[in-house]
Amino acid sequence: MTTQSADVIIIGAGVAGLSTAMQLALRGASVIVLERERIGNGSTGRAAGLLGQLRGNVEHTRMLIDGIDIVRQLEKTTGTEIFVQTGSLRVAETPERAAEIASLVAMGKSIGFDIEHLRASEVAKKLPYMRTDDLLDACYCPTDGHLQPAELVSGYLKVGKDCGVQYKTNSPVIEILHAGGRVQGVRTAEGEYHAPKVVNAGGPWSYLNAELANATLPTAAIGHYYLTTRPDPNHPVDRMSPAIRDRELRLYTRPESGGLIVGIYDAEPDQYNMRKLPVDFDMSRMKAARDSIQVARLLEAANARFPWIDERTPMTITTGIMTFTPDARPFCGEMPDLEGMYHCAGFSGHGIVQSPTIGLIMSQLILDGQSSYDCESIEADRYFEVPGYMTRTDIEQRCFDMAGNYYTKIEKATPVASGHA
Amino acid sequence: MKILVPTKRVPDTDQKITATADGSGVASDHLPFVVNPFDAIALEEGVRIVEKLGDDSEVIAVGIGEADYVQQLRTALAMGATRAICVECNQSLDPWNVARLLKEIVLREKPDLVLMGKQAVDDDANQTGQFLAALLDWPQATFASRVELLAGEIRVDRETDHGIETLRLPLPAVVTTDLRLNEPRYASMAGIMKAKKKPLDVIPVAELGVALEPRVEVLRYHSSETVRRGERLRSVDELVERLRQDVGAQA
Repeated sequence: MTTQSADVIIIGAGVAGLSTAMQLALRGASVIVLERERIGNGSTGRAAGLLGQLRGNVEHTRMLIDGIDIVRQLEKTTGTEIFVQTGSLRVAETPERAAEIASLVAMGKSIGFDIEHLRASEVAKKLPYMRTDDLLDACYCPTDGHLQPAELVSGYLKVGKDCGVQYKTNSPVIEILHAGGRVQGVRTAEGEYHAPKVVNAGGPWSYLNAELANATLPTAAIGHYYLTTRPDPNHPVDRMSPAIRDRELRLYTRPESGGLIVGIYDAEPDQYNMRKLPVDFDMSRMKAARDSIQVARLLEAANARFPWIDERTPMTITTGIMTFTPDARPFCGEMPDLEGMYHCAGFSGHGIVQSPTIGLIMSQLILDGQSSYDCESIEADRYFEVPGYMTRTDIEQRCFDMAGNYYTKIEKATPVASGHA
Repeated sequence: MKILVPTKRVPDTDQKITATADGSGVASDHLPFVVNPFDAIALEEGVRIVEKLGDDSEVIAVGIGEADYVQQLRTALAMGATRAICVECNQSLDPWNVARLLKEIVLREKPDLVLMGKQAVDDDANQTGQFLAALLDWPQATFASRVELLAGEIRVDRETDHGIETLRLPLPAVVTTDLRLNEPRYASMAGIMKAKKKPLDVIPVAELGVALEPRVEVLRYHSSETVRRGERLRSVDELVERLRQDVGAQA
């Protein structure tokens, strides 16, 4: 049995845990990251990584914009391309969606963000492989794009290793040690790891980690699907083609290796009870059934926007698990009842792109007790002992509703609003 | 045109596969079952042929196994099979006996073409198609990488070690499918909805009147040890040097 000590123990080596570890180590803290399986597997390993900076909430927008600077720095350090700045496009086929775009453009311009209306004819020129005759409006953000998840993981890992972070894989945490209202460390099968601060960056497993600390974290595990077409000479997709969001059809897309990724925020996604999955569950082995109703809905929606995609199109289907919260915002910070126990989970499909700044915020909260960002909307205790958010049944229902309605509700963005997008 | 597609239900081999402690079989508690991937390719090819013909041609998916096999046959129906036949049989069967049962189905259904996977990914036997063709005294083409239906005959490309071999077979015939023939589809919404109303006949194995005669005895299953012999080298030059040495040693 081993006993080791560090300033901070991080549970989970997805992007949330890796980014936090890197930022802490850059400030000189000693960090041990414990991963139940492999580094960057889990939700991180299956993410599409779309980065749309403009959110309904100005502070979230700021976090995303600042995150790009962190990523650019990582690119310099590692010499690999992480951020692919393809630009992004949002399309509207109904008057409600057109109004949504109008308010988004107004908000963007009010904070000096690069965003423009685009007529359907201009969209057709930019994206010859997309159906555009039904579009009422569109907006284009040239500075958006996507982060390449694997390259981002490598970047966090390289800098972290250089700063002395220890990464232990195949090391599920089985107990969180605490006494007198203070966290003291964790236990794995190999032994004890002592630290005054522990970070729960467990993604879909985060609510189980919280339960080890007698806390209720309102996150839930929600299934997700996207397709990736194989390169097709009849429908070439340039690697710098803009990402597309079509909220009416619940779709997002981006180029990938000459083909197109098309993902869906399904109305009735799969729900997972992480406790019931096998101990050695490996998300990379998840596979969609050939008659999956979610895949069928994805194909139907994809076909409506990209008529050349149907069930005969050569493609791969990627499926994995996202961690949703009742308001689709992450939980970042301490809970009131256990000092030193931090949570960093529930990114609701945006973990890759939020991770650069979230890691910085977590390091500030842990080392300074406060952040240079306004964290009110992502505080870990915002549902603490709030009726209706205390049992797994309630939490799962609320997260499921949020995930199912994620793209469909009409968003009202204003420069001062604190809603989310 | 009537196409018969025999399928096998296998554990999803992309999952972690282990043998049971007593060595009697594969530990399948958490394993999802799928249509054998080569059979899914055969099914896809059958569906494409029928879609192209656009007449009242049929693709009939067949499964032999326990009662819950109907799940995989529903998947086959959603992917486009016209109807399905489940031969209910709780006994494990070797390829010879599977072929004998399939022969009875063929005699009942009188298809023009039997399309099936070249082998199942669980036991990799690669025998059933050949046995079936022999029992029926039909021409056979194995490992098809391209299939073209002509008037009264079928042209098949097969990938061999020496290149692509093209065969022409009169119908009826047995064709077994290789990996590169096509990419099986995911069912469309319409496919899933239609599948619920398509006929799925369940036949008790006894009804086929075949006295099963097992010829293969499975002695034991055991998990193979995975040995990782990775080594970290310092530079590309060192890697090139090592590869040269290893190739030299083997030559």
